[in-house]
Amino acid sequence: MKKYIIAIIAIVVFTACEETVQLDLKESESVVIIDGLVSDQFKNQYVKVSRSIDFYAEGTSKAITNATVSVTDGATTYNYIHNPTLDSDNDGVYFSTVPFSGEVGKTYQLTVQVDGTNYTAEDNLYPVTAIDSLTVIVNEDEFDEPERKNYFYEILFYAHEPQETKDFYLFKFYRNDTLVLDSPTDIYFSNDDLLAEEINGIPTASFYKLGDIGKVEMYSISNAGFIYYNDLINLLQSDGGMFGSPPVNPRTNIEGGALGFFQASSVVSESIKVEE
Amino acid sequence: MKQISLVAILAAIFFISHQSTAQTRHTVNGYVKDAENGEELIGATVLVKELGTGTVTNVYGFYAVSIPPGTYTFQFSYLGYQTVEQVFELKENVEFNIELPVEARQMEELIITDEAIDANVSDIKMSKNELDIKQVKKLPALFGEPDIIKTIQLLPGVISAGEGTSSFFVRGGSADQNLILIDEAPIYDPSHLFGLFSVFNADVIKDSELYRGGIPSRYGGRLSSILEVRTKDGNNKKLGGAAGIGLLASRFMLEGPIRKDKSSFIVSGRRSYVDLFLKAANQDNLVHFYDVNAKVNWKHNNNNRFFFALYLGRDVFSFEDVFGFDWGNTTGTFRWNHLFNDRLFSNTSIIASHFDYKLGLEDDAQGFDWKSNLQELTLKQDFNYFLNTSNEFEFGYHLTYRQFSPGRITPTSESSLFTEQAIDKMYALDHAFYVGNQQKISDRLTFRYGLRLSVFQNIGKQDVFIYEDPKDNIDPTRIDTVSYGAFENIKTYVNLEPRFSARYLLNATSSVKLSYNRMVQNTHLISSGTVPIPFNTWSPSSPYLKPQIADQVAAGYFRNIKDNSIELSAEVYYKDIQNVTDFADNAQLFFNDDLTTEYRQGNSWSYGLELMAQKKEGRFTGFVSYTLSKAERDVPGVNNDKTFLANYDRRNVLNLVGTYDLSDQWQFGANFSYSSGRPITVPAGRYEYDGYQVDYITERNGYALPDFHKLDFSATYIPKKNKDRKWQSSWVFSIYNIYSRKNAFTIYTRLKEIEDGVYSDEKEAVKISLFPILPSVTYNIRF
Repeated sequence: MKKYIIAIIAIVVFTACEETVQLDLKESESVVIIDGLVSDQFKNQYVKVSRSIDFYAEGTSKAITNATVSVTDGATTYNYIHNPTLDSDNDGVYFSTVPFSGEVGKTYQLTVQVDGTNYTAEDNLYPVTAIDSLTVIVNEDEFDEPERKNYFYEILFYAHEPQETKDFYLFKFYRNDTLVLDSPTDIYFSNDDLLAEEINGIPTASFYKLGDIGKVEMYSISNAGFIYYNDLINLLQSDGGMFGSPPVNPRTNIEGGALGFFQASSVVSESIKVEE
Repeated sequence: MKQISLVAILAAIFFISHQSTAQTRHTVNGYVKDAENGEELIGATVLVKELGTGTVTNVYGFYAVSIPPGTYTFQFSYLGYQTVEQVFELKENVEFNIELPVEARQMEELIITDEAIDANVSDIKMSKNELDIKQVKKLPALFGEPDIIKTIQLLPGVISAGEGTSSFFVRGGSADQNLILIDEAPIYDPSHLFGLFSVFNADVIKDSELYRGGIPSRYGGRLSSILEVRTKDGNNKKLGGAAGIGLLASRFMLEGPIRKDKSSFIVSGRRSYVDLFLKAANQDNLVHFYDVNAKVNWKHNNNNRFFFALYLGRDVFSFEDVFGFDWGNTTGTFRWNHLFNDRLFSNTSIIASHFDYKLGLEDDAQGFDWKSNLQELTLKQDFNYFLNTSNEFEFGYHLTYRQFSPGRITPTSESSLFTEQAIDKMYALDHAFYVGNQQKISDRLTFRYGLRLSVFQNIGKQDVFIYEDPKDNIDPTRIDTVSYGAFENIKTYVNLEPRFSARYLLNATSSVKLSYNRMVQNTHLISSGTVPIPFNTWSPSSPYLKPQIADQVAAGYFRNIKDNSIELSAEVYYKDIQNVTDFADNAQLFFNDDLTTEYRQGNSWSYGLELMAQKKEGRFTGFVSYTLSKAERDVPGVNNDKTFLANYDRRNVLNLVGTYDLSDQWQFGANFSYSSGRPITVPAGRYEYDGYQVDYITERNGYALPDFHKLDFSATYIPKKNKDRKWQSSWVFSIYNIYSRKNAFTIYTRLKEIEDGVYSDEKEAVKISLFPILPSVTYNIRF
């Protein structure tokens, strides 16, 4: 719904027009943004801490480099340090001082201290089902009229969804190791409320050309994670409250007044090369 | 308090009835009709000249006047018709039906006689407008399709939900608080093509009226307004019809007698052909709508008359034969008007209404069908008792059974990833008992008072979930399930709705009026957007959803000038709504098993000033309406518990509407609309999360869209009638939004696009406007 309804009306009246406008916005106080993940892969886990900026400001969130960050599973506490490799891309990103892998069944607690204010969050790490396989097909519509020359292969995804547990999934799709989205406001996630056991070849995002390597990552997320991503996509795709609800901040698991999400996930992935 | 007022009114009724039995009275009764086609005239004035008093015809065109024996001159009048007088020597009861001839076209400014129609001043009704369908047809229309809803959106106290929508807001109420009736049957979604057109085909409409205050006790069920649309009965004198070809849709209507003067029919259809354009543009997307109205009636005699009316409408969208959806209303009304005696008029109606929508995706891996519907069946028994010239009672009983089916998903292929799922159906029984009286206290003072007792029952069959925390919408935890059998009572709500209006004549040309009404609403729209969409569902009041209750007071000054040719009115109102239904921030309203955890109810209030000047007769007719108002909401759990401007708040609204008959061949219409912008939520800032650029929101509806204004123009050309031809044609040329203002439909934010498919981290706000200047032409014939 939401913006799609406006798109449909635009088709019907074929007179609709879009135009960039300058909003006369009040200055707002910035808010702390936390974006962290503990996965079951053995690595230096990350937490990104930043601050919101004005809507019309240049660039993106302002990195916070002086925070104190730690994660605990109740038994072991992992301290994080800011950007140990001094890579400018990782400004505001904190890495665990030692590599570790999250374990299924554990609850991870995050503590972030910024200028004397404490922000805490916790998330459970759930198991994830296996990806059975990926297949490549030719998308006939794209073959007839490709949006991008030679990009008319589509990757299909197969899995078994365990019916006895309540599961939530987040998907990420990569073409030659670059994240792909059909639209910059897309998030691929699901609960299993309406899912049957067999997932028989649902299309993944974007199109591929011969020789590309497609990769699918599937993350387990918690109910709180599902709610966060659901709220986030509603906000990203808001129509300004005309047919859908008014835009509003996503519900987060972070306490203390920060926005963002702290996520614990199992991850599985599968790759396929696009061949004749 | 409630009990006392009920007892007081019952006592008053008894007292009046008792007093009146002492005198001998005779009754003159009958129907007032249009001489040309036999259609009953609603609200026609019947004046007994010797007594200086009289009555008006009821919604079925019936009148009754009960007076002592004597010789009287009755005068029958109705706007746009010749006034007819009839002398009665009253020795016994008289049945008298009268047909009024249509007034000859006045090419000069009308000279108003002392029999001028001054209903604006003398009628007890306030906060009410009738729409003249003939004028609606002369006004400029979007895509040349005359639409009463678009004209209603111009009335004082009424706010358009947005350009190109069929939703409207009345006196600080949301769109779902309007009861929209076609031949007494409720229409749950009045839109075609998401609101570009409404479901009302102008060819079949006889009469429509909008109550936004001072609502009589026979109406109930919604908080803010009643829009009652009545279709024609069909010409019972000769066969005739009309057809029209417009830019987006064409229409056809046929009416005529089955048995002359006794029985007639009307049938009409309309279909859009946007899909043909889309096909021509080589698009696989199909979009169309249609509607059908049909009615037969049999007027056996004055004592027994039967009607059967049907409405059927549907919108169908299909995209590349893969994805599609459709929605539609179906209503049926059976009506029996019966006279028990010369003064007791009865109407019995059986009404059915059905609304449904479907969404479907054809796909091996993820195909599904999603269906949702709402149906209701109503029995209405209404009585009018014309006691004497000072008292007219109405009372009755309404019973409605409703079934809500919020959704069922079915996989459409063996290999689909979906499982079959359905949300529990919900059921309700709604009883209403009402009584009302219009009482003339003195020559200057008239009261109308009434009571409506609403007894609402949420009934089984349903499993009601008990939650650990009924407001926890993040992780709803059911601790128990209570199963109710079919028709078993789950929850009952009893509400008493007092209604009161008073009119005091200051002099022959001015009056003051006052009204108070309480309205109760037990069907709730599940939507947190500004404009309802057909995919919204409805829910009955339940253990988790209390009835919404509105109290409204209004006061007005009414004055006619220039021999009643110009009607002026000024009204102020204050409306307070308790338990207004809203939803938690981030509520998940589609296909949610635990929807009850998203309900939030709170307060809403609004107040305003409405000014109107109207000229109904002569070559130039039209009106100016201005509304100054404010509407706010305070709902715990929404917007951090802070008060916010309601989606339906617009500070200033001004409309100028006029038609001018230049000659028999040329008529012109124009319309200028201005409105403050809709409140909208805009970001206070922005941040990045996992690569997404996310808006930071600090308050709901804290910003306003730019002001809305536009000017439309229309011209109707009626070629001189060829005497050999049986039909008359006309052309309607319309120009919508003459100065092509890009009015904001909405504003949303998106990433800046650097080049095709490559996006910056920065965002921009984008305004969508739907209609630039749009000329259109419609060709109509009548035969």
